[in-house]
Amino acid sequence: MAGSNRFLSLLYRKLSSLRTSVYVLGVLCIFYVIGTIFPQGGDINEYEKAGGRFLEAVRLFNLLDVFNTPWFLVPAFVLFLNVSVCTYDRFLRIRARRGAAPAAYSPDCTVHLALTRAEAEEEVSRILTRKMRFKVLRTGTDWTVMEKGLSYRWLTWLYHAGIAISFVGFFISGLFVREGIITLRPGEEVEIVSTMPENRGWLVPSDHSPPGFKLVLDEFITEYTESPRLDYPKDKRSRVAIALGWKDLSYRLDEDSFFPKDWFSRLRVVRDGSTLYEKKIEVNDPLRFEGYTFYQLAYEQRLKLRVGERLVEAEAGKKVDIPSIGTLRFGPLRTGTLFRLDGTTDKITPFVTVKRLSGGKTEELGRLVLNGHIRVGKSKLSLVDFEESSVLSYRYDPGVPILWVAGSIVFAVMTLRCFGRWYELAYRVEERDGTTSLLISIRSKGLGADPARVIRRLSHHLPGVRS
Amino acid sequence: MSQELILSRDAYLLTVEVRLFWLVALVYAFSALVLLFHILTRRVGIGRAAQGMMWAGMILHLGWIALRIFEGGRAPFQTLYESLSWFACTAVLTYLVVSRKWRDIYLPATFVAALSSGACFYALLSRSPAVPPLSPPLQSYWFEWHVVLAFFSYAVFVVSSSIEVTYLIVKPFLNRGADEVFGLTRSNIREFRGTAFNLVLFGFPLLTFAIFSGAAWANEAWGRYWSWDPKETWSLITWSVFTMYLHAMSIPKWRGNVASALNILGFVCMMMTFLGVNWLAKLLGIPSLHLYAV
Ligand code: HEM
Repeated sequence: MAGSNRFLSLLYRKLSSLRTSVYVLGVLCIFYVIGTIFPQGGDINEYEKAGGRFLEAVRLFNLLDVFNTPWFLVPAFVLFLNVSVCTYDRFLRIRARRGAAPAAYSPDCTVHLALTRAEAEEEVSRILTRKMRFKVLRTGTDWTVMEKGLSYRWLTWLYHAGIAISFVGFFISGLFVREGIITLRPGEEVEIVSTMPENRGWLVPSDHSPPGFKLVLDEFITEYTESPRLDYPKDKRSRVAIALGWKDLSYRLDEDSFFPKDWFSRLRVVRDGSTLYEKKIEVNDPLRFEGYTFYQLAYEQRLKLRVGERLVEAEAGKKVDIPSIGTLRFGPLRTGTLFRLDGTTDKITPFVTVKRLSGGKTEELGRLVLNGHIRVGKSKLSLVDFEESSVLSYRYDPGVPILWVAGSIVFAVMTLRCFGRWYELAYRVEERDGTTSLLISIRSKGLGADPARVIRRLSHHLPGVRS
Repeated sequence: MSQELILSRDAYLLTVEVRLFWLVALVYAFSALVLLFHILTRRVGIGRAAQGMMWAGMILHLGWIALRIFEGGRAPFQTLYESLSWFACTAVLTYLVVSRKWRDIYLPATFVAALSSGACFYALLSRSPAVPPLSPPLQSYWFEWHVVLAFFSYAVFVVSSSIEVTYLIVKPFLNRGADEVFGLTRSNIREFRGTAFNLVLFGFPLLTFAIFSGAAWANEAWGRYWSWDPKETWSLITWSVFTMYLHAMSIPKWRGNVASALNILGFVCMMMTFLGVNWLAKLLGIPSLHLYAV
């Protein structure tokens, strides 16, 4: 019994210690570094094929998913315990300090006054409380202790508590998150179910009831800006030549000087045939509904081509082998609205740029416009149609609201603690050999604090100061 | 205005801007050289002249930033070319503001001037100065705050570590009985080093906000506030190392060399976050599998 008590109190002492936090943070940093060296989320076979090193260790310690291994999660949990126990312990200590008797103070400066002891005591107290807005903490004993500013102890305590709460948010995220990716063509709808293959979350039950609504994509829109290319030399000497004025820079507009400005999906949430919510979403502006958030992730474009009499399908931005023509590489399909440099806008006639790859060489074949054609050798290549799909990701994460609240507390309170000012001033009036002296001890925290200025102001207000 | 006119106007502005940037880089480099000369001769006047040059370089640099804002119509820290410049400018500016408290101490300036000119030359010689349009993920109000405050914290950490390095260089000489080394004496060295601590205290909430806003932005754009990509992870490492430093400063036995080492390590991690996220993997020959090609 005594043994287990001793163990528990040792554990409590270790977990409330500042040194432990330094060690644990150090251990976690080692895992973070490992996580930046090995490609996280990578597949071990691909890793091996790509010539990945330290294969045995990677396999044994699961280094391609290091942040989900016990070697990482255990120290992360120890840090959580450390912050929580430390916060609890400091709460008890700060409260106990409030009413405690004053400790001995060593004076930082002494001011001699041409006043009696009683006059000096009254005057100092009046100036500090009325003029300088100090609050009395303890009085009646040898030293009178006063405080000014937001208590740095409570501030430090509060943002550490915020960090502990953030950990709770991370755990809830890790345990309950659900997410997935949906690819929709305009006019298509999809039932949102919670058992998508991409689901993560350690505690998501496999028979979790679906939210029971459908998502409909009414329209997908793309917008481009004209983006000229800069003729800028790659070699360093030519760059120096520009600096010396021997060469100037120039811009040019190419066949495909299009830069995706934005892409939007017009979405509708439907339940039992009736529309519950509609929104046009874009990157950075998702749709939120009943705890689910739908994000605009990317888009896919499929091209329908005709080669002679044959129909061929290809994906924009990819390579495709076409018999009788060879290997072609299509650029991204451009469609939608173009915002020109001169401020005008144009409706784009859909087109795609085409290149032929043969024997390590790339031949530019030019623009292939919708319903138009280009000649590739003896064959005629036409773009007869295309299809765009919007790629959306969705996420249900009950940890996020907790993280918002805790993160805001941590940031706001930490800012107050670091940038603010707090003073603890203790003073004592002594009378010896007919001389009255004021002994001052001052402590401060925060970048805004200037203890020398406080003492200067106090001396300035005191009548009869003798140096 | 016609398209040709717009293109030639933009090219002209860019040419002027690139030349001005070269000038800024050269002024910083020259002040670093003069500072080295100050170290060799220990003449205060030379140090003062070098610091004057840094002021001049910084004013030119502010002019460069104004020009770049005019060119792009937005704050200039979207490309690495821009952020390297922003990094150099904020580091010099922070140093010059902080150094007003320290008359005739120029050793930290050597570190700041050399680093800033290095950042400018790196931008000029290995990055393109083109002003690309803002891609959709960057069109977020979180983005600007995220970058401004992240770089401000970087600048503050650069100056803090320059002070810490100066402290580590000078302290042994003072311990061995020297009265004054590069403007530092036994009576002012403690307060001088306290500035390094105050700077970390200043930069820490900024870095905290940078991480917080980065996560909020990722949450808004991609639906995942944290995906353990190398840039995110290195920023977490930097944050953790500075936490360790601040904690070490509260532990009497660790307040000396342990804390100094952590402050400098924090600076190294910050540089890794900024420039070297994939460097270790490359050094060890680990493939990135195109998953997080940053
Ligand atoms: C990720 C986790 C943590 C972060 C980001 C963090 C952050 C900080 C910062 C910035 C300071 C210095 C500013 C100040 O004095 O208020 C500090 C001080 C401190 N921290 Fe932490 N901390 C963390 C974890 C912990 C843990 C686990 C403990 C438990 C032992 C702890 C205990 C303390 C104490 C006792 C101080 C000194 C406060 C004082 O000067 O009185 N912290 N922390």
